[in-house]
Amino acid sequence: MARRIRIGIDTGGTFTDVVALDEATGDLVTTKTPSTSSNPADGFIDGVTKVLDLMGATGADISSVSHGTTVATNKLLEGKVERLGFVTTEGYEFMLEIARQAVPDGYGNSYFWVKPPRIVPADLVRTVGGRIDFQGNEIRPFDEASAVAAARWFRERGVTTIGVCFLHSYADDSHELAMREVLLREHPEAVVSISSEVLREYREYERSMTTLVDAAVKPNVSRYVRNIHERLDELAPGIPFSIMKSNGGVLSADEVVNQPITTVLSGPAAGALGAGLIARNGGFAKVLTCDGGGTSTDVSVVLDGEPTLTTEGTVGAYPSKIPMIDVVTVGAGGGSIAWISPEGTLKVGPQSAGADPGPLCYAKGGTEPTITDAHVVLGRIPPHLLGGEIPLDVDAARAGIEELAARLGLDPTRCATGILEISAWNQANALRQVSVKRGLDVRDFMLTTFGGSGSLLACRLVDILGLAGVVVPPNPGNVSAFGLLTVDVKNDYVQTAVARHSALDLAAVQATFDDLTARAAKALAAEGFSADEHQFARSIDLRYFGQAFEVRVPAPDGPVDAAYAEGVAAAFHEAHRALYGYDFSGDPTQQVEWVNLRVTGIGPITRPELRPLGGADTGPGAGESSEESARSSVGILPKTRGSRQVCFDADDGYAATPVYWRPDLRAGDRFAGPAIVEEFGSTVPVHPGFEVRVDDFGNLVIRRESDSPATEPSAAATQEGTH
Amino acid sequence: MVNTAGLPTAYEHGHRLTAEGTPVDPILVEIVQGTLASVEMEVETAIARTSRSPMIRDAHDFRAGIHDRQLRKLTGRSYSALVHPVARDFPLAEMAEGDVFFHNDVYESEGGIGHLPDLCVTVPVFHDSGNGPEVVAFVQAFGHHDDIGGAVPGSMPSNATSVHEEGLSVPPIKLWDKGVPNKAALRIMTRNSRMPDSLAADLDAECSACLMGARRLSELFERYGRAEIEAAFDAILDRTTETYRREILAKIPDGTYVWEDYAEHDGVDEPQLHTQRITLTKVSDAPADPENGRPAGPRIIIDFTGTSPQAKGPINHCGDYVGGNFLKKWLAPILRNLADTPERMAELDVNEGIVPLIEMRFPDKGTLLTPIYPAPTNARTFVILRLLGVLAGVVAKAVDGRMPADQETIRYTGVYGNDRDGNPYLMREVLGGGSGGRYYADGEDTIHVVPDSRNLPTEFTESRFPFVVERLGLAVDSGGAGRYRGGLGYEKHIRMLEDAHFMSIADRSILACWGVKGGKAGMPFSVTIDPGGPSEREVDALADAEPVKAGQVIRIRTTGGGGWGDPLERPYDEVERDLRWGKVSFEGARTAYGVVASGTKDKPSIDVEASDELRAELREQRAAAGDVPFFDRGPGYASLADGRTAADVDWL
Repeated sequence: MARRIRIGIDTGGTFTDVVALDEATGDLVTTKTPSTSSNPADGFIDGVTKVLDLMGATGADISSVSHGTTVATNKLLEGKVERLGFVTTEGYEFMLEIARQAVPDGYGNSYFWVKPPRIVPADLVRTVGGRIDFQGNEIRPFDEASAVAAARWFRERGVTTIGVCFLHSYADDSHELAMREVLLREHPEAVVSISSEVLREYREYERSMTTLVDAAVKPNVSRYVRNIHERLDELAPGIPFSIMKSNGGVLSADEVVNQPITTVLSGPAAGALGAGLIARNGGFAKVLTCDGGGTSTDVSVVLDGEPTLTTEGTVGAYPSKIPMIDVVTVGAGGGSIAWISPEGTLKVGPQSAGADPGPLCYAKGGTEPTITDAHVVLGRIPPHLLGGEIPLDVDAARAGIEELAARLGLDPTRCATGILEISAWNQANALRQVSVKRGLDVRDFMLTTFGGSGSLLACRLVDILGLAGVVVPPNPGNVSAFGLLTVDVKNDYVQTAVARHSALDLAAVQATFDDLTARAAKALAAEGFSADEHQFARSIDLRYFGQAFEVRVPAPDGPVDAAYAEGVAAAFHEAHRALYGYDFSGDPTQQVEWVNLRVTGIGPITRPELRPLGGADTGPGAGESSEESARSSVGILPKTRGSRQVCFDADDGYAATPVYWRPDLRAGDRFAGPAIVEEFGSTVPVHPGFEVRVDDFGNLVIRRESDSPATEPSAAATQEGTH
Repeated sequence: MVNTAGLPTAYEHGHRLTAEGTPVDPILVEIVQGTLASVEMEVETAIARTSRSPMIRDAHDFRAGIHDRQLRKLTGRSYSALVHPVARDFPLAEMAEGDVFFHNDVYESEGGIGHLPDLCVTVPVFHDSGNGPEVVAFVQAFGHHDDIGGAVPGSMPSNATSVHEEGLSVPPIKLWDKGVPNKAALRIMTRNSRMPDSLAADLDAECSACLMGARRLSELFERYGRAEIEAAFDAILDRTTETYRREILAKIPDGTYVWEDYAEHDGVDEPQLHTQRITLTKVSDAPADPENGRPAGPRIIIDFTGTSPQAKGPINHCGDYVGGNFLKKWLAPILRNLADTPERMAELDVNEGIVPLIEMRFPDKGTLLTPIYPAPTNARTFVILRLLGVLAGVVAKAVDGRMPADQETIRYTGVYGNDRDGNPYLMREVLGGGSGGRYYADGEDTIHVVPDSRNLPTEFTESRFPFVVERLGLAVDSGGAGRYRGGLGYEKHIRMLEDAHFMSIADRSILACWGVKGGKAGMPFSVTIDPGGPSEREVDALADAEPVKAGQVIRIRTTGGGGWGDPLERPYDEVERDLRWGKVSFEGARTAYGVVASGTKDKPSIDVEASDELRAELREQRAAAGDVPFFDRGPGYASLADGRTAADVDWL
């Protein structure tokens, strides 16, 4: 009988990460293959084959495959959108040229700012007559003749990707539907996105951009998904294949091609989800995630395993109002370059040496010192990569740091620690951005670090932000792929319906919710979920009358009556206070306004059970490790793999520091910094003053010794003050 | 009598915190600078997300700033108000934690507040380094609120003749005393506003945001200690001084340069040239001036002598306080255009570090920049916007035109009346304009000088106000012709659904944004009611209550930017693209660029031979007409200048 193996596969720029779960035994197997940018399907299939081989399984044993990727949208992020057409309302042909009149950054930049090219140049915009008002009433009928002319115009010029956005189409979509009919008739090979299907939300510029991004990625995403799907079908015919969405859900590959914009952040979303699930499993409800790669670090907030979402995101240079996991990307990764500004200050990033030429210590032609070089000079990472496969040129790194230090008039050790300190503050400011803007107090949060470089500065981030501690999951390089195994099917529906709370039409709200729910149910049914499995989550965006930004609050199920509405308003006051420190509940002069009604349809999957890691006296390998381990008063001191000279603080210089090999660690192990924990593909420097506990699931839980629940007296004696 | 511009002051300000040469940790400097920027952004984000007044919420007409205890501005992303009036009236030693200071009184603001709707909140930051809590810094925010009373809704009466018609003036007061809000003061303010609810809410937002920022700064002092942080503050400002000395001042040849430009009307008198004049002197070896905190070395002296007498109407700006401290930081961003590349320009901060490099000299009291209380000031925006252009122009004379041509990006237009439910409403917005051509690029369309200032989405305004925006487009041909064309202004058509009144506070409706080095001026601002209809009429750019009937359209065109360089040098393919994009008409291509084109907008076809001939002809005509001035002010200038087409200062 075939086994049931669920596979998660995350295609990154360099590596394709694969995690496979045997649903019957709970066995979890991970592997990595090089990504193949010329035909990503090759790397994808290699990864699937490789993981099946490792498990002694075949394609027939696969039960489902979930996929996250950034590859499909890279083209867009690089700003290479070609031959895209835009159809909009008469009088608005310059909507994209005007945008929102905003100039980025500083006051006075309008004098020298050069606007980047628009997603559609002005000559590929056509307008069509007809007008709807904000309540969905028709002011002027749809002008079929101008629509036909526009469709033919695009056809004659070979423009086959077209976005359509008419004013107030969120309130009534009839003109957009008519436009699509005309395009279908006159220009059948065109790929079309209409705004009322992509995003039923007011603000015409943002809705147009979102629709155009959707249209722009459609041909690419379709081609990519079809290509992989066909190859997968050869290996394992007919198995469910789904794609990760930016909102933290998945969608079947067949459906994704109809709403490609929902997948643009699928890689980071999977990482945040995976990290969130692991942390919640370890007993931590409030988590900041920190996914460190070669060129940048992605940070996000996860509450109770659910990543927080935003509808004010961007895709590359373009705004997108589609709900997506709120990830802030900071240009601080292992390859970030340390440099001296014209003012003579030390700067770190955002320029990166990437993986090629990479840091000086890669000896692949890099010419500038990077964060990785600082780490290796200080001994915080080993002088080799990937468990010893690739040696690092420590002398080259040291020479580079020394040269930089000389130009700054600094001691080289001070220079190296300074590079890392600046990088840590850059990351800390990004973490603040994602948390403070929601009114969250980061001191309650644990930081989950993963990715190749995510854990390197974890202890400093705890210090700077006053975090509760750090959780480093096992296999930190595979967290994103793991996240793919944990994802429900999820579709978002929104309808703008502006109304004052005091004059709310309860029946209309109910009707809108019913309509959105019906649409969600239909989509879930199409994904193969039976009605009893369907879950629906309502949320509502509200504001005080006169505000331009809304606050989103979750809303319960149930009939919309006066008590329901009061409950929603109360939740809004409370959320407003939590976010901004004040509210106007009980103040009749400050009216509440309902703006957007939202329903998310959820088709739940069975989440994998994380299996506990064995304890030191029960787990595999316990025999050999217990020989050198000694029980301390509160935990187990695991054996070390020796020690090396590491510098954690320039004032204290280098000191012999024990090095632990992570696969040797067992549940219940406990040790104090300074220490280094190494594993294949990642390293965790544990600073003096911190203590590590290995939890039941193999997570490293790192806290300040002063904060640890049971402080070891012996370790506390050596504790250093943090500065 | 010499105008001392308010110096010296009885209170201490502008000094270093640590002795020159105090060793500083370069790593800490970077960390402190990053944290200051992050705190400032958090404060602004908090205000933006909760505010009601459209001027704050959409036009982004508000600023946070962080200042040290010597009242020096540490952050550099934008201008801000000044802490000086607070320190003048409330000695630092008597401040307590939880205090929040408030002011909007223009004449009591030391020049930091330009008009009464700009309400300013100041929060001291405390640190205890062993002597009890002491003030170590300030977090401040000011924003343009909806209404603070006065003669008209919005508190900007365009025909005001005294500050008393412009609303309630509040000198520096303690709005919160040790964490306790002064309810009486709040009540007086809200009682004097036509929009008390949004006023109260926005003030709350500003106070909460500044207190949050102050807490974060306290944490920074706590972590590193006062001595270290203050050394870093000095280093941040020193570096700015050094950068501007090296990358900006070095580009201006030593010498004296004069230029002037004008506001065209003050709302009271007939349109006329209200001159703002700058005599710019650049010296490389000025002697040290320790009394005013100016080191020896390169310096620029900006002398406003020659500026017109103060206007009867509200276009006056109180500039001559604390040595012109506000204006230095307001004008310095223009100097960034001298940096090597647009990318570098964007990197340069304008903090207090630029102040030692600039000396300002003011004429005696009684001019546009040195008004005497209670001269009105609510429309002073046009004067201080114009000053940006005067400085750009005078520097252009010094550097052979390698500065951007002119832009005008602020004006207030709106409609008010009763909405569908019979409730009164005021819809007022700030529409940007085209920026000037640069020596490296065309100007941009419909942009705004204030960062993040946003226009109002049609789908938002139509849902709230009784009108239909029939068109939100670009004004074709509005960009000044040039080798690098000026950016285009808006063309907006609003069709009223109910009877209403239209209001406008705008300059540059007669005079235009100037072109430079052969570039032509852009098109000025204009408003037409019922265009093409039986009641078609032009509306003056200063209009408080122009009646509009239901069904009529209001057509607003905003200014195009000035052009840069000779339009006859513009390559044919760029003109062809402008035709295709609809930014230049076929007629405009012919008259302004000497380009003969046929076909349609979809498929323009340029006749190269005919165009070559036409350009040759135009060049000959130009040569025959004699010397061409370095600046082009557009056709409107002659109407205010007794028929002269250029000013004396317009030649190199």
